[in-house]
This record gives sequence, structure tokens and C-alpha cells, in this order.
Amino acid sequence: PPQPGPPQPGPPSRHLGGHYPSLPLGYQNAAPPPAAILTQTLVPVPLSQPLGGPGPAQLSPSLAAMSLQSSTPEALRVVNLLQERNLLPPIPIPPPTPCLQQDLQKINCNPEVFRSTLTSIPQTQSLLNKAKMPLGLLLHPFKDLSQLPVVTSSTIVRCRSCRTYINPFVSFLDQRRWKCNLCYRVNDVPEEFMYNPVSRSYGEPHKRPEVQNATIEFIAPSEYMLRPPQPAVYLFHSSTWSHNASLLDNIKLPGDSRTKIGFVTFDSTIHFYNLQEGLSQPQMLIVSDIDDIFLPTPDSLLVNLNECKELVQDLLKSLPTLFQKTMETQSALGSALQAAYKLLLPTGGRMSVFQTQLPNLGVGALQSREDPNQRASAKDVQHLSPATDFYKKLALDCSGQQVAVDLFLLSSQYCDLASLGCISRYSAGSVYYYPSYHHQHNPAQVECFQRDLKRYLTRKIGFEAVMRIRCSKGMSIHTFHGNFFVRSTDLLSLPNVNPDAGFAVQMSIEENLDDMQIVSFQAALLYTSSKGERRIRVHTLCLPVVNSLSDIFAGADVQAITGLLACMAVDRSATASLSDARDAMTNAAIDSLASYRQSVLSIQQPGLLAPACLRLFPLFILALLKQKAFRTGTSTRLDDRLFAMCQLKYQPLVYSMLMIHPALYRVDDLSDEGALNINERTVPQPRVLQLSVEKLSREAAFLMDAGTVMYLWVGRSCQPAFLTQVLGVSSYAAVPDNLHLLPELDTAESQRTRAFIGWLRDQRPFFPPLHVIRDESQLKPTFMQNMIEDRTESALSYYEFLLHLQQQISK
Amino acid sequence: MTSLTMIARVTDGLPLAASVQEDEKSGRDLQHYQSQAKQLCRKLDAQSPERCTLEAGDMSFHYLIAQDVCYLFLCEASFAKRSAFAYLEDLRGEFNGRYGRRVAAVTRPYSFIEFDTYIQKTKKSFVDRRAPRNFGSINTELQDVQRIMVANIEEVLQRGESLSALDTKASNLTSLSKKYRSDAKYLNTRSTYAKVAAVSVFLITLIIYVRFWWL
Repeated sequence: PPQPGPPQPGPPSRHLGGHYPSLPLGYQNAAPPPAAILTQTLVPVPLSQPLGGPGPAQLSPSLAAMSLQSSTPEALRVVNLLQERNLLPPIPIPPPTPCLQQDLQKINCNPEVFRSTLTSIPQTQSLLNKAKMPLGLLLHPFKDLSQLPVVTSSTIVRCRSCRTYINPFVSFLDQRRWKCNLCYRVNDVPEEFMYNPVSRSYGEPHKRPEVQNATIEFIAPSEYMLRPPQPAVYLFHSSTWSHNASLLDNIKLPGDSRTKIGFVTFDSTIHFYNLQEGLSQPQMLIVSDIDDIFLPTPDSLLVNLNECKELVQDLLKSLPTLFQKTMETQSALGSALQAAYKLLLPTGGRMSVFQTQLPNLGVGALQSREDPNQRASAKDVQHLSPATDFYKKLALDCSGQQVAVDLFLLSSQYCDLASLGCISRYSAGSVYYYPSYHHQHNPAQVECFQRDLKRYLTRKIGFEAVMRIRCSKGMSIHTFHGNFFVRSTDLLSLPNVNPDAGFAVQMSIEENLDDMQIVSFQAALLYTSSKGERRIRVHTLCLPVVNSLSDIFAGADVQAITGLLACMAVDRSATASLSDARDAMTNAAIDSLASYRQSVLSIQQPGLLAPACLRLFPLFILALLKQKAFRTGTSTRLDDRLFAMCQLKYQPLVYSMLMIHPALYRVDDLSDEGALNINERTVPQPRVLQLSVEKLSREAAFLMDAGTVMYLWVGRSCQPAFLTQVLGVSSYAAVPDNLHLLPELDTAESQRTRAFIGWLRDQRPFFPPLHVIRDESQLKPTFMQNMIEDRTESALSYYEFLLHLQQQISK
Repeated sequence: MTSLTMIARVTDGLPLAASVQEDEKSGRDLQHYQSQAKQLCRKLDAQSPERCTLEAGDMSFHYLIAQDVCYLFLCEASFAKRSAFAYLEDLRGEFNGRYGRRVAAVTRPYSFIEFDTYIQKTKKSFVDRRAPRNFGSINTELQDVQRIMVANIEEVLQRGESLSALDTKASNLTSLSKKYRSDAKYLNTRSTYAKVAAVSVFLITLIIYVRFWWL
């Protein structure tokens, strides 16, 4: 056998490059680089490769040369992207851990709730500029948490100058004084705080729950209320009820005995429903004057749900029949929204709008702006910004009166989401979109809608909320992403807050953080629960400050950076143009890798080099460029594109990452090896595969999890065992065309597959429908478009993209 | 009709329940009255009169204290006082029955906010003139109502402040009189010096005159 000669210092990569096919097609079929095999045969390698990327044994010789920097952390290990092929870790990527003292890190905020793009904060803005990476925070502040300490006390301890809530990262100078970690002011510890209710001891303020937990909730005293807590008010507002009225039955809306409910329907006129207690059946009141809207009986349109339950149920039963025969095609959405706003004016609350067509009558009427022939155009995409500011203005009025508007679009045609979406965007609502919804012809979409609606109706809700994000002195927040209205520089007004909403902020460093070891960020969300309690949820994140570029790169969180870049790109495509946004994303990858090459690497070598923590950055950027929101050249409906943009901005990072880069699993050979055991259910854990057709095989079946949708691709000559035991069909030809529900078979394979899919679904609050895909399926192109690493007619393959990056960097 | 009903614990002014009804037409700023109501509940203590009406411009606060709980009703001044108190009396009966025992133990503001539903219904029946009501019970309460003191909201809220103003004035007076005393002393000494000087000038002149005249 060849001797394991000393690592060659020169450019062995060049000779490797010779082996490396330059054609993308060949690249796909390439075996692992020969050098890697060579090393593997020589070094005794344990048979099971450790999880988490290629082990050190797989390093190519050129990288072994780098081993003189033996002290470099794993995150900074140099990776030549052009050589290393299997970069995708087999399990979902965990967020990086900030480089903090262990005791601080132990109590630091959960990264799922509060995450920074750079887990090491640069000391100065010029250093940040040099690193060419965006600095920002990603938040999921109202996430459903299984464990949340709740504190009731008459005084909430806060810094007297910057109003920061006391948190685990403050320092106690002595028993009676604490120093704020954001503005460094020294504050007194109030007498009440000296007593610890948990341990029932006195004189240990640093052991109070507020100082032990980075995420905590306070029950607010009456100073935090401008008015008494309002009841939970839900207004349902729909253009037709034929398909969703029955869903509202038997669902318990969150709230106490004061919960109020109301219904409004509309076509070319607006219909109110009088549900006053004492009536024998609901009364329908029609207002046809849509230009000057008024409320016919203001007191009896919103009624107490408990007291008028029977009338409400009556109404829900009769609504579908009322509109069954309607031939009306006009929709006065604008006026109907104004009417609903008037109805909710005194109390605030939540308005759920179900819209099935383009509003075309009265105020806020819209015209179709989409040209179907331009859908696949590689030129710039038009009409990404709203056509009218009516919806934005109304949303701002709603926000002022604590009304949030949630939009459900159930349409097969163009609905101008760019304009309609504003109503939810500025009133902190959410948008749901079901393209080509039909209650008979599209059962997968119907199930998806029903599940989503169920979650929507039963999930937690906070009313009259505001969120403030504070950061240490010297840093400042300048741009916010998500659905809200920015009331003052750091205060977000959220009439409703829901557990599925994510936010992102961009930051800059205004003063040098010279003498600081750590900086902190605090997000405080003040809201009224559906039970009428005013609560404050506080999250505090602590991060180290570093002064060298290599430390900044070592702390880069590639998923968070991708998420933030996606938000920024959505803004850019609305303000400038889509091509601008696409260029900006490509440049982000080029700039940061170029900066790494110039400033961090001590030994220059050929190839496209990236630190290990950023090794997936070009892949994610390419994925973004091929995402529905930003792609060009592939036929994309305008509303689909805008909805994807909404989701990128509004969804918490975990879910948007799946939308950007779906996970591919092989599912025909699931085994119990390494399986998780959850609630006495065995959940197999197949490894994540690269998104390339090369990974697919005709003999197998693959599951692609794209966040909001899942595809089960069945190979033409798939093992018959899988077909019979999981899909319940005898042969490939017998797989039904629109199968979207796996049969519940009593076989081990079926149970494993269903357990795995169920487990994936349980991790997210919305319901991803499953489509089984064959070669002839209509959805096959959609599935194939997610094969990000492959070349399409209009977009580069991953390898070509890397070559493009390298070319730009070495310029 | 614009109105505000608030129920609070007297010992610390913790609000227990509240109900607000805004009238679009009047366009009044209830926020101001709400903070006044909160302040008022904090000012009240065991020594406060049990029933009182406070005037605040064209609105009136009516309150009633029973079992350490204050029932406060803000309405237009024109609204009949006896109806207001009959309404508060009704609330007291119901609230005490439902939550009376738990009042002392709660710590969270608006713990009994669900009482809002009852408040709204009751208020409707009292405010609506057509509502059939038991006039007999009103008449018996009329006697009580006549004894209710009338005061101005500003006075009650500023009572503490005027006392402290008096205090500062008194201390000002003390320091002024001290100054007067020292000034008077100074003046006295000055006039004594002047007298002494005049006498000595006269004597010196006399001596000089005697010396030169006689010699």
C-alpha cells in the first residue's frame, strides 16, 4: 500500500482538480475525491463515521497542511468547497453555541427563541464591515413553551434609566445593588426582591427566578394597563361560507366567559347578523350603501359567545345554505373591512377575513395586474408592491385600535396578495394562502386548510401587545422584519400576537465596544392573555464581544444569516427590484467569503475556501435564488411568489429554513437503528440527503420535507415491499394519482413511515400536506424544482454557482 | 352613554374588575377619567366616607365602600344620583356574593374581570329608562342617598397637596421672622453707634471751643 507520506504543502488540490470533472453532469456522478479514499484506507477509521459532516480523516491533503493550526476550532476548519462534496450534515444543523463562560451559557436564552446571526459580536462597526456579514437578531418571542417560569410580584425590578428588566446577566455589586447589563447604571435592589419565594429564603437576590432564567414571564401590575383588560373578541368576516362554516363548530376559542363573537359576510352588499340574546333565530341585516358604511345595531352584532351559543350555532348551520345559490361575483372587501373595523373599534380584537376573489367593488377595489405570459420571464418581475395604500392605511387604523386582521385567501385566481397582504402586515396579523382551493376537487388543500384553521382557532393569542427590543449601550437596532407597526424607534405595536409569528431585526454598532466582554439583548413582550391577564414575557440573550475577524467568522450562524438575508432580500425586491435582491444575495456570499480569504486565511491556496461554519452558505444562497420568492425563469404565479415572501419574513427561522432548503430522506429502508423514542412511539431517523437527482434512485422512495408541503417520491422500480406494505398497492402502476394520505396498514414499514411523517408534522404549528409523486404526476416538476444542487434551464447548478463565486472572489 | 365602572380593594387600591363603555358621539377622553379613577381608589382608605359623590366637570364619580371594597361609577353629572347608587348597591350585592371571600387574597389586578359581563347587563337595565325596575326599592334608598356628601374630585385629590403647601408656608414664615429679628438687632446697634458718634462730636467741639475761647 502507498505510504502515508507527509502532507504535501504545495498545491495538491490542483492535481485533484484534474480528477475532478469540470462538467456539472460528471460532478453529480463523481465518487468522493480520490484523496479522501486514499486517506481512509491508510488511517484506521471507525466504521461508523461520526455524525456532523466529514470526519477529520476525510480531509484532503491540502487541508491536512493546515493542521499546523491545530488549535483552530472546528468552526474555523478550512473547507475547500470545490473539493468537498458531502458537506450537508446527516442530521438537521444545530445552532452554534456562543463562546461564553459555561455558567453564562447554561442560562442563556434558547436559540429557538432568540438567535443572532453572529454569535460573537464584533467590537467595532469597521470590523463588522470588514467581515461583510449581516448583524441581526431572529426572534420567536411568543413560541409555545413547555416550561415557562411565571412571576407575580407587585414591583417588577427594572433599571431606572433604560427600563431593562432584571435578568441573569446583570451583576450584583453587593446584596443591595445591581448593575444593569445594558446601560451599566447601578440600581438599588428593592426590599421585596431580597426575599426569594422559590427557596423561601431572605438575602439572596441573585437566586430569584428573574436572575436564574433568561426567559421569564411576569404578571403585570395595573400600571402596565392603559385600560382594563378587554374581552377576547373574534370577528369572522367572509365573502362566502359554503365551505368553512362547519369548521367553526365544536371548537373552543381561547378566552374566558366574556369572549365575544360576531359574523359579517359580504358580496356587493354587506350582511350583518344580529345575535342578540332572546331572539329565536339570528337576524340578517343587509347594508347596501357601501360608500358610507354604518352599523345597523351596534350592540347586538358582537355577542357573548357563552350566552348566545345556540344562536351562533344556528347561524353557522344556516350560513352555508344561505349562499349556496348565489351568483354574485362582486366583492366589496374594502367597505366590509371598514364596517368590521367600526364594529371592533371599542374593544379591539381579531378579525379573520376569508376572501375568495379579487375585491372589485367600492373602496379598495383592485385590478388584475398579472400577465400569465410573463410568469416564466427571466426579466424583472413587476407588481411586487401594493397597487393602493388603502389597505395599509386601514391596517394602521386597526393597529391604533388594537385590531389585528388575519387573511385567508382561498382562490384559484390572482388575488393581488401584494396589496391585500398589507392589511395583515401592518396590523400584525397572519396571511394564509391556499392556491387552487376547491372543496371537492382538491382534497389535499382542503385538509391542509382545515388543519390550519383548527390550529389558528385554538392556538394561544395575546391581545393589545407591544414588543420592545433593547440592546447594550453602543449597539442600535435599525430595521425590523415581520408583521407589525413600528410605533417608536424600538417599540413594535402588535394588536394580536400569536405563537407562530417570527421577527427579525438588523443591528449596527454605533460606539466601539472596547472595554466590554459581553453584550446583551432583551426582548420584552407585553400582552393581555385571552383570560384577561396582563403579562410580560422577557427574553434575554447574552453574547461575547470579540476583536478579531477570525473569531467573528468562527461565531457565524449560517442559518440565521440566511434567514436574515432572505428578509432583507424581500424588502429589497419591493423597494428596488427582484434582480437587485438576487444580486445582493449573491454578493453577500461573495463578499463574506472574499473577506475570509483576504483577512483570515494566513496561507493562500487555490480553490473556494470557507470556514466550516459557513460551508453551507453558498448552498443556502443558491437555494434562496431558486426559492419560489426569488426565482426567475421558472413559471411562478405572482401570488405564489408574494406568499413565499410573506412567509420568509413572518415565519420563525426553523420553518423558513425548510422552505429555503428542504430536507430529503430515503424512506423505503427505514430502520429502528438510531431511532428516537417519543411517547412510546419509535420514530426512525433517516439521514438528510443532498438535494440532487443523483441521490434519487429508481429502486427507492424518498420523502422531501419542504416545510409547508411534503412530497413522497416513488421510484419507477421501487421495491415491491414498500409499495405493498406502506402504500398498500400491488404495483407501481397502481399508485393513485392524487394520493395524499398514507393508508394505515398494520405493518412495521407502514408504522415506521407514518411515525416519521407524523413526527415531522408535529414539530410545526401548520399542517404540511403530503403528495405522493410518480413520474407522471402533475407535481413532479414542483418536486424537481426543489433539487437545488442540480442545473435547470434558467439557473446554475451548485457546482457552477461555486465556480461563479470563486471567479468573482479571485477577481 | 359614556360610563366607567370600577371595583377596587380599598386597602391598597388594587383594581378587581372594571367595565368601560365609550360613546362615539360624545368623543370624550375616557383615558383621563380612568387614571383619575385609579388615583381615587388609591387615595381612599377606611376613614373615607362610605358613600360620596365627586364632581369632575360635567361628569360625576359616585362611589360606595362596603366590606373593604370600593364600587366606583363614573357617569354624566345629569344622571340621577339615586339611580347611580341603586346601581352600585346592586353590584355590591352580586359581587360580594360571588367573590367576597376571595377579595383579600388576590394579588393580580383585575382578577375578577369576568364580572364585567354582569356589570354591563346591570348597567343597561339601570340606564335604560324603559327597563321595568323596582321603584319601591329605589324610594327606600332615596333616604340614604340624601345623606351622601358631595365633594369635588379636585379637592379630594389635592387635599394632601394643600396641607403640604400650608406646611411650607409656615416654615417660610418662621425663617422670615428670624430674619426680621436679626435685621432689627442690627438696626438697633447702628442707631446706638450714631448717637454715640453725635455726642462725641459735640463734646470734642465743646472742648475745642472752651480751650480756644478761654485761652
